[in-house]
Amino acid sequence: MNLDASFSALADPTRRAILARLALGETSVMELAKPFDMSLPAVSKHLKVLERAGLITRGREAQFRPCRIEPKALKGIDDWLENYRRFFEESFDRLDAYLKVLQAKSPKARGKNHGRKK
Amino acid sequence: MAVKSSLDLQSDPRAIIGIREFDVPRELVFAAWTDPKHLAQWWGPNGFATTTSRFEFRPGGVWRFVMHGPDGRDYQNRIVFDEIVPPERIVYRHDGGEDVEPVRFSQTVVFEDLGGRTRMTWRGVFPSATERDRVIKEYGAGEGLVQTMARLGDYVAAQG
Repeated sequence: MNLDASFSALADPTRRAILARLALGETSVMELAKPFDMSLPAVSKHLKVLERAGLITRGREAQFRPCRIEPKALKGIDDWLENYRRFFEESFDRLDAYLKVLQAKSPKARGKNHGRKK
Repeated sequence: MAVKSSLDLQSDPRAIIGIREFDVPRELVFAAWTDPKHLAQWWGPNGFATTTSRFEFRPGGVWRFVMHGPDGRDYQNRIVFDEIVPPERIVYRHDGGEDVEPVRFSQTVVFEDLGGRTRMTWRGVFPSATERDRVIKEYGAGEGLVQTMARLGDYVAAQG
C-alpha cells in the first residue's frame, strides 16, 4: 500500500468525514453526500481520491455502487501512526536521560568548585 | 506537575505536533541533534540502535543511517536537512527513495529557551501532495484526524 497517498487523502476534512461515516458500514454515494453541502460529482471526486489511496473500495453495480472501507489500508496507517507515537515518546525519553548525562559532564555544570587552574 | 510531553493531531489536519520540555538549556538540547555520536545515544524507540554511515549537518546535507530494531529487522533511513538555525530550529525530511522506508514527510524541530529549560516542538507534515492540496483545503470545523483514527482503529480491531 502507498502510505503517502493515504496520508494525502486523509489530509482533507471532508474525506475524513466520509471515512468516519463508512466506518459505520457500507453505503451509497447518495447517502454519503447527504450531510455535506456538496454536489454528487464533488463527492464522487473525493471518493476517487480515497479509492486511489486504497482506503475504500466500491461495488461494481452500475447505478448503486456501494462504498466500503478497506481495513488493510487503515491498519497500515494505524501501525504507522503507532510507530510515530512510539518514536516521539520513547526517543525523547531517551534524549531526556542523555541530556542529563551530558549536562553533568559539561564544564558549566561542574560549576565553581572545579574552577579553571591558573 | 506540568505535562512534559504531548502529541497533538487536532490543531492542524496536515500535521502531528509533539511538544516536549527538558530541564536543560537550549544549547545542550540542540547539540544533541548535531552529532551522530549524540544521536546514537537516543534516536529511536526503546530497543533500537542507530548506525550512521553519512552525516552532513548543513542545509541540503544528508544523514544516512540504519535503525536496528529489537526484532532484528533493519530500517534504512535517509534524512535531508533543509534548514539549520542554531540553536533555534532544524527542518529535515524523510525523503524515501532507494531501499529506504516508504513514507515521505517533513519534520520541523523548534527549540525554545525557557530560561535554563527548553521546550522542543516537533512538527511533522505529510507528504508533498498534501502541501500542494493545502490552498484548496478548509480548516477547522471538520472532525479531527485523531477522532477519526480512533473510530477507524476500533473498526479495524473489530475486523480482527
